[in-house]
Amino acid sequence: MSGYSTYKPQSPFMQWLERRLPIASLIHSSFIAYPTPRNLNYWWTFGGILTFMLGVQIVTGVVLAMHYTPQVDFAFDSVESIMRDVNYGWLLRYIHANGASFFFLAVYIHIARGMYYGSYKEPREVLWILGVILYLLMVVTGFMGYVLPWGQMSFWAATVITNLFSALPGIGDPIVTWLWGGYAVGNPTLNRFYSLHYLLPFIIAGVVVLHIWALHVVGQNNPTGVEPKTEKDTVAFTPYATVKDAFFIGLFCILFAYFIFYIPNYLQHSDNYIPANPGQTPTHIVPEWYYLPFYAILRAIPNKLAGVIALGLAIISLAFLPWLDTSRVRSANYRPAYRVFLLVFFAAVIGLGYLGSQEPTGGYVIAARILTLYYFGFLYVILPLLGLFETTKPLPNSISESVLREGSPAGASAPASGA
Amino acid sequence: MKFHRMKFPRGILALAVAAALTAFGSFAVRAQEADAPPRLSWSFAGPFGIYDPAQLQRGFKIYREVCSNCHSLKLVSFRNLADPGGPGFTEAQAAAIAASFQVTAGPNDQGQMYQRPGQIADYFPPPFPNEQAARAALGGKLPPDMSTLAKARSYEWGFPWFILDAFRMYQEDGPDYIHAIITGYTDPPPGFVLPPGGQYNKYFPGHAIGMPKPLSDGQVQYTDGTPMTVDQYGRDVAAFLMWAAEPTLDARKRLGFQVMIFLIVFTGLLYFTKKRVWHDVLHDAELQRPRAPTEYQH
Amino acid sequence: MTDITSTSAKGGPASGHGEGTRRDFLYIATAMVGAVGAAATLVPLVDQMNPDASTLAAGGPVDLDVSKIEEGGQVVVRWRQRPIFVFHRSKKTLDTMQSSQMISLLSDPNSEVVQQPPYATNWHRSIKPEYGVLVGICTHLGCIPLFYPDASATTPVSNWLGGYFCPCHGSKYDPAGRVYSGVPAPYNLPVPPYRFVNDTTIRIGENPADSPAWDFSAIRQL
Repeated sequence: MSGYSTYKPQSPFMQWLERRLPIASLIHSSFIAYPTPRNLNYWWTFGGILTFMLGVQIVTGVVLAMHYTPQVDFAFDSVESIMRDVNYGWLLRYIHANGASFFFLAVYIHIARGMYYGSYKEPREVLWILGVILYLLMVVTGFMGYVLPWGQMSFWAATVITNLFSALPGIGDPIVTWLWGGYAVGNPTLNRFYSLHYLLPFIIAGVVVLHIWALHVVGQNNPTGVEPKTEKDTVAFTPYATVKDAFFIGLFCILFAYFIFYIPNYLQHSDNYIPANPGQTPTHIVPEWYYLPFYAILRAIPNKLAGVIALGLAIISLAFLPWLDTSRVRSANYRPAYRVFLLVFFAAVIGLGYLGSQEPTGGYVIAARILTLYYFGFLYVILPLLGLFETTKPLPNSISESVLREGSPAGASAPASGA
Repeated sequence: MKFHRMKFPRGILALAVAAALTAFGSFAVRAQEADAPPRLSWSFAGPFGIYDPAQLQRGFKIYREVCSNCHSLKLVSFRNLADPGGPGFTEAQAAAIAASFQVTAGPNDQGQMYQRPGQIADYFPPPFPNEQAARAALGGKLPPDMSTLAKARSYEWGFPWFILDAFRMYQEDGPDYIHAIITGYTDPPPGFVLPPGGQYNKYFPGHAIGMPKPLSDGQVQYTDGTPMTVDQYGRDVAAFLMWAAEPTLDARKRLGFQVMIFLIVFTGLLYFTKKRVWHDVLHDAELQRPRAPTEYQH
Repeated sequence: MTDITSTSAKGGPASGHGEGTRRDFLYIATAMVGAVGAAATLVPLVDQMNPDASTLAAGGPVDLDVSKIEEGGQVVVRWRQRPIFVFHRSKKTLDTMQSSQMISLLSDPNSEVVQQPPYATNWHRSIKPEYGVLVGICTHLGCIPLFYPDASATTPVSNWLGGYFCPCHGSKYDPAGRVYSGVPAPYNLPVPPYRFVNDTTIRIGENPADSPAWDFSAIRQL
């Protein structure tokens, strides 16, 4: 994180502090002087957006925790009292509830950008794996948060998701009982989910620090996938990247605010406004939209254990991408065949998401199976083979050259660069 | 062996299209579960829509005279009746309404619970003390609490409506559904076998609803000249229940407009700032200079 | 890679002439609007900690039938979550309150500090002398003073004349809630707004009909 800084403390106090705790020069080198490739497009602003959303979720979450009661008899009513009686409580809760969705929206775009531009490739493997860990932590945190309002969907989501572990042979049932703290989802479950839902965001924040640290060691990838070679290829993080991030955070907030203020319940299932009833399962239970692709994969597979394994593998496999992808060219802009397969992969994930929201009957199951097959086929067959056989486009010599070229096909052919 | 650029992916695309078509093929099946509720125009729809106090007062009258015999409204307090953005009763009116209800209080000095007239800070008392009492009185049926009912009911419109509705700010499926249920009692079609104690309702999922037809024309007296029809009753009570479920809608839209204006102005400023900051980078004469590939070496 | 600021140096606000001021204005305007937004964001985050609507509504008036309080006895009711002492004072107690011995011990015997509504700014700090109504919270650090209505040579302290004694830090009040001098508590016990609905029932939390609307938050210190 250091090495870029030309920071020289001016005031006597800052000089005094610098000798004891060089925090100012750390901040300076990480967030001001840090060189960022000049050709980053707006897809690269989602890292900043995610940091912003983590802050929003932690701040609103801490505040909501001041009013929420993690007890089965009071949880639903305490959320409703936040909505009705607490000053600006409705605002804070709608920000937090929709914030989860927008957090996931941003992380999916962030992941997709990483896949499109090959940001997981050498030397960014650890950076990428930390990202997959962050995503996993988000999945767990989001799920536990969804249980807290203790509506019908909360209760049955908790029941169904914890029961996934019962598929494990031998140890499944003891694990599920241990997760519940009882013979079914109940007060101990709610109370521990609340505790963990409060804890995990701070773990996420810690891993985010590692993620950014790893990023600043290896430097950012860029749309060409060619590493910066001279200082002409980069600009300082501040003001260039900060103002660009700020602008896109503003745009993102407009969309976010539209949901908060005008369609706050659009992303929420109406059944979650029915208090949890352990005696009655809703006719059609679905997870929140951001889990739907994985839910579809789970349901596509007729065997319980295999379904759960496929669900887990669908997420874990992302961590193996640096090794599954055998191509040395990073950016899909220079890999025409990969680009098409990847876009179909994205479409398949969206398709799985749609199928996950529908009842698992007839054509829906068949379609989900086809798309699941493509999901894993892309990761485990297409990606390894494609790198060996595809013809890539010539890479530019440098970022500056690609900026000048502006997409015109001129330019000398260069070997794939891993520098 | 090398893949030709366009040929291979076409097969994949065809598969994806086939999968999608298979998926959409089975829509018609689910739609038969219940008729789609008609979409009405509500005063509280859209970016500036707010509740109509007169309508909420009529809806409250219906709740009080009809619904409250079986349905609780336990998250709503009498004080809410005088809240801004609500039915627009005065504090005195709300207190008078509260006093007309008997609420359970206590224990008193003898350790007994007792009934007293409601106060403005009290919540609407439930018609039955507990679930078992309700079931015992109503032939085993349990009427749901109405506090969040208007947000707890919806209709699955399916693709592509669910995408269009995000742009149309459609958040009124609850009131539409409630109005539909109230107006949806008809004779069952020939061959439909009603379970015992069930009524036929064309908008209820599965059609056999436990609640008898609650409202008939002229049942609740309006004094403001509003037509006393089941359709109008349905609209008014649905609006009232939407308010009961979402009492802060008025404040939300008011603040939302201010936030939107702010965000648009601020983001616009950030856009121009960004353009300014990046201007020199994008018009860098040094960068435009043609150079030999060797110059890129470290 | 040390000289990465070469491009940003050229983009500094000093470059150009009219260009520079327009640029400065844009930057300042953006920063100001952003600061306003950040400040506005704090409003809900701060305001959410204030009492919510149900708490405020639950602070409504409380009725009490004072005829059931025996002479010399005290009943404690809760109003706005706070203990309210309702003391049926005996003739002896009223005499003590007026005795020069007692008055000489007090810090503010004439209730000059606004710790009571105007209709209780009198020697007995109440509407009717025989009924004292006080917020039972010590003005030192919020403990509930103990009720020792009778004179005693030993209890709770030597040469006690009768009144209230705070066990936390030894603050002493007379039967009208007037604080002694030389104790940690700075002010008399507050008197809440109240009125007689009829001869025997008081309503705590409402002013008498013939009095101007008096706001309890006008007192010096709870």
